[in-house]
Amino acid sequence: MSKERVSRRQFLSYTLTGVGGFMAAGMLMPMVRFAVDPVLKAEGGGDFIATKQKVSELTDEPVRVDFTFKQKDAWYESEVTNTAWVYRDKSTDKIVALSPVCKHLGCTVNWNTDKEHPNQFFCPCHYGRYEKNGKNIAGTPPLAPLDVYPFKEKDGFLYLGKAEPRKEA
Amino acid sequence: MKWIPQEVQTTLDAIEYVDTAVIPIYSIAFGGEMKQSAAMVEFITLLTSHLERQFTGRILLFPPFTYLKSEDSEKVLSELIKWEDNIVKSDFKHIVYITSELDWRSHEQSLGGPLLWLPSIPLEDMNDSQKIGLIDSQVKQISTFFTQKWNEN
Repeated sequence: MSKERVSRRQFLSYTLTGVGGFMAAGMLMPMVRFAVDPVLKAEGGGDFIATKQKVSELTDEPVRVDFTFKQKDAWYESEVTNTAWVYRDKSTDKIVALSPVCKHLGCTVNWNTDKEHPNQFFCPCHYGRYEKNGKNIAGTPPLAPLDVYPFKEKDGFLYLGKAEPRKEA
Repeated sequence: MKWIPQEVQTTLDAIEYVDTAVIPIYSIAFGGEMKQSAAMVEFITLLTSHLERQFTGRILLFPPFTYLKSEDSEKVLSELIKWEDNIVKSDFKHIVYITSELDWRSHEQSLGGPLLWLPSIPLEDMNDSQKIGLIDSQVKQISTFFTQKWNEN
């Protein structure tokens, strides 16, 4: 005979606590999960996409960098190629990756294609112009500077994130 | 601008800026020519969508004008001219037609805007980066045509 006998009362209270505990946990767990969900969610904007551009090859002259990713419109998934203008700023030695989408009505801007205004980004649609650092030139249609891509360097290659509007300095 | 509600709205709000209508022309054929017809559609679709990306703020890319190849060509032409009349009424300054169909070159005089005829290049055996490169170089050539046209007036 064991020394500590479990009485009927004890047995019942143990079982009830146990079962009750499971039930409470079953109810609370999803609630807690919902409450902390925003924290656990992967950062959408934090996805960096690999490009074929070697960081070491970047110079002071903006180059066109294309990168491809999958985009979903409703249920239709397609491959989208985006472009960035990337250069290494000589004075600060920092890499600058600009979005080529004109802030006026969304055309694609080109580097140095307007002969009258060299070393500027030029939009062929309505003759919008931007300085090399992406700042819009007053008197031309665009009202905001070009968006900037966040970037990362990994194994020597450039990775680009989602373009963000530039914060005014 | 693409033919989707948000972008059509932007077009209507900024019609003084978005002043060019681009209309792809597709022909549909059957039997032995069916595959050829599909290749033309693929080529022109990719080309016009890439063109739209370059000139989003100035072009409205229309849904393609599609007709039966076996149909009488005068009848098809009069149908397209009906489109054209409506587009002109909607305040578009320029209309550009893009097609791979050779027959349209003889009709260019009857149309109110230039017709870009591009021989269709079979894309079926190419990989994606080859396709992109090819379409990109074609679009670069057409781009000069557009910028020149806009510079004229």
